[in-house]
Amino acid sequence: MGTQVKDVIVKPDAPSTLLLDKHADYIAAYGSKKDDYEYTLSEYLRMSGIYWGLTVMDLMGQLPRMNRQEIIDFIKACQHECGGVSASIGHDPHLLYTLSAVQILCLYDNVDALDVDKVVEYIKGLQQEDGSFAGDKWGEIDTRFSFCAVATLALLGKMDSINVDKAVEFVLSCMNFDGGFGCRPGSESHAGQIYCCSGFLSLTGQLHQVNSDLLGWWLCERQLPSGGLNGRPEKLPDVCYSWWVLASLKIIGRIHWIDKAKLRSFILACQDEETGGFADRPGDMVDPFHTLFGVAGLSLLGDEQIKPVNPVLCMPEDVLQRIDLQPDLLS
Amino acid sequence: MHGRVKVKSTAQQEEEKRKEREKKLKIYVAARDACFSKRKEGIWDEGALQITQQLLSSNPDFGTLWNYRREILMHLETVKDEDEVQKIYEAELSFLESCLKVNPKSYGSWHHRDWVSTRLPRPDWARELSLCDRCLSLDDRNFHCWDYRRMVVKMSGVPVDQELAFTDRLIGSNFSNYSSWHYRSTLLPLLHPESPELPSPPRSSLPPSPQTHSHRVCEEQLLKEYELVQNAFFTDPNDQSAWFYYRWLLGRAEREEMISCVFVSREEERVSVAFSRPVNAQSVGLLLVLDGLPQRVEWRSVHPRFKHSPVWICDLPPGTVSDITNEHNLTVHWMEKHTHRDCALYTGRTESWCRDSATDQELFRSELSVEKTSVLQSELQSCNQLQELEPLNKWCLLTIVLLMRALDPLGYEKETLAHFQTLKEVDSTRSAYYSDLCSKFMIENTILKMEYAEVRVFSISDKNLTTLCHLDQLLLVTHINLSSNQLQRLPPQFAALQCLEVLEADNNSIENLEGVYHLPKLEEVLLKNNKISSLADLQPLASCLKLKRLDLRGNPVTRVANVESELAELLPSVSDLLL
Ligand SMILES: [Zn+2]
Repeated sequence: MGTQVKDVIVKPDAPSTLLLDKHADYIAAYGSKKDDYEYTLSEYLRMSGIYWGLTVMDLMGQLPRMNRQEIIDFIKACQHECGGVSASIGHDPHLLYTLSAVQILCLYDNVDALDVDKVVEYIKGLQQEDGSFAGDKWGEIDTRFSFCAVATLALLGKMDSINVDKAVEFVLSCMNFDGGFGCRPGSESHAGQIYCCSGFLSLTGQLHQVNSDLLGWWLCERQLPSGGLNGRPEKLPDVCYSWWVLASLKIIGRIHWIDKAKLRSFILACQDEETGGFADRPGDMVDPFHTLFGVAGLSLLGDEQIKPVNPVLCMPEDVLQRIDLQPDLLS
Repeated sequence: MHGRVKVKSTAQQEEEKRKEREKKLKIYVAARDACFSKRKEGIWDEGALQITQQLLSSNPDFGTLWNYRREILMHLETVKDEDEVQKIYEAELSFLESCLKVNPKSYGSWHHRDWVSTRLPRPDWARELSLCDRCLSLDDRNFHCWDYRRMVVKMSGVPVDQELAFTDRLIGSNFSNYSSWHYRSTLLPLLHPESPELPSPPRSSLPPSPQTHSHRVCEEQLLKEYELVQNAFFTDPNDQSAWFYYRWLLGRAEREEMISCVFVSREEERVSVAFSRPVNAQSVGLLLVLDGLPQRVEWRSVHPRFKHSPVWICDLPPGTVSDITNEHNLTVHWMEKHTHRDCALYTGRTESWCRDSATDQELFRSELSVEKTSVLQSELQSCNQLQELEPLNKWCLLTIVLLMRALDPLGYEKETLAHFQTLKEVDSTRSAYYSDLCSKFMIENTILKMEYAEVRVFSISDKNLTTLCHLDQLLLVTHINLSSNQLQRLPPQFAALQCLEVLEADNNSIENLEGVYHLPKLEEVLLKNNKISSLADLQPLASCLKLKRLDLRGNPVTRVANVESELAELLPSVSDLLL
């Protein structure tokens, strides 16, 4: 009897140093494979893909290698009449990609490339009577979208355009017995949603509503013997969950509750020495998503080769300083 | 991309794969472009359904295509009769079922099923529920399916007890099922509320979360749950799910919202107010009445870092209470909560307060509860039995600590400390968590001891403290001794110690004094052997105007050039400086 702990084994020959140059080359080359089948299949999330790539490049001090003008023109072409932004041309607007677009434009210090007033109108229009946000006009409700809404508005300095009190009330109604948060009221806690909800409460100045000791306990219990963190009990570790758990712990002032050295070696082991980039777990295929969260995680762990990252918005701190945005963190 | 193992392949294999991908790409792009152009032309026909179906079966995350399908379906609703519409939607459901079989975790597919189910002219909720049963039998942690199930349950009015029985079944077949335990935590309070005759008024239109007061469970049901959880952790003591659930079951009701303390000082002409939870006094409607007259005062939190704080301060208009021969009556009203607290300042007294202490409120009967002692006692017995079998099981040890705190925090102090020591050894990854939790419990015990002794001295030296908490409970403390611990900072919350005169914190690792901020009575600060390295770190002390004595021996800052003259300028009130 006894549960087998679900975990991976980090092999002794796994990478143990940070291969920044390889990662930069990997990301720089990624966008040039436009005729690739896999690349085309991921078109539905292109805007977020660009945000992942550019943010990790900026964190590594390599943003100038990306094609600024092409990207800005692309974003402009993705804004729709309603104000929302789509993942790519021909796709429908959605809050997920509206946030990504605004994040990218903040990196480039060029938010006016979008019609900002229309973006604000779009977001405002997606707030429901109970305070929640739909992801788009088709009405899917999720606390992720509450985060997207307030994060976008915070970056634009327009937080007061929605009913913040109602929005907070909804997010708090998704708090669970373990102190975590799920997608909707009654949904199970999940590290990704906890990140969104603690980030949301940070941006709305309501972090005191979090039961930090209880939630922090649940979060630090995500660390497995391999050093990696999972997103829910009894799940495998993953670089992206490592970021969501770590960032949440940072937001609620409990980052010291995990073993940082062990997590660092897990993240480093997820690098691909040949191609550059990070995978979800050691030995898997790399992608820009896990590459960003790997690098951002190492930044939160204090790696000085990388720019400091903001745990709430997953953007370089210097970018947020430029727009004078400092989300609350608990101490 | 998740869980895709990187496979080594030969150059020839690579070339074959490349060719195949090229072919697939052509087909895909052609289909996608066909979809986009049909949609642009406003074509909402069966052909469009077919081509989006083809694309979505391999790429269900392509959200725009689901949107297009919804447009088509809505159009068909307007041109077909009800039976035909019913058939079209049923076909849609079976298409979705095949998508979910291939990719059971696609947000897009689940949301579309949600959408279709609510538009179906004659919904078959029983079929939907059995789909959930099947899906959860394949993966009992699929949160998309759980969420869909909750929607179905709500729409079709499945009774709560039937759902609870469903979790019984799942847990019965596999205790290690966090999702089911979670679901129970949302169902139980609905089925067995703590006080059924007194349903608490809903705070809003939303269902209350299991974290809130109204979501406690009645005692009879609690006993049954204890039994179920014990079965689980005796069967598999390392399964965390049951332990998380158990900690919630043992949790105590939320603290009553109230003003816990009002303190008034003649000399500073200042009122300090402590609340049972952090509030924003500027927005909750706080009213100060002095001798029957409402006062126009400005409330500020104890530290500018806090917009929400458990302690707020205001200055009285000059001269209102300074004459010691006058008696005054103060009332602080918390309008939003319809509650208030009075405080009388008698003739000849320099200060006064009125409060519910931590002991009055049984604040630290831990986070655990009010449940009958005998019940907790027998729970402790069971855990002790398990611990004998599994002496190094961290879940069991931690639970024992929590139960001991619920029963008798001071009486079990020694055992608690020993258990924490073991916890740090068997689960060294989380040793910082255990250190902080242990610090919290030691601080609680020290507050209890201080209050039983009816003194205003808080002394907790040499206890391996790594963090400070409950500082809002120390509003009246005049002397604090934190020496010989492992503290790294005196955090902003420390500014709640509005009566503090002497601060002893020798032999720690303090590098940050942010919280030693505007403490009006503070005269003596002893910080020998800490890690204060720069004058900037000492800046907060400059706001404590009565500071006379400062001991900085054994800190790196003492080696800064011209430290003495710099300090004389920074802290002009200090006459007794030890470097
Ligand atoms: Zn991942």
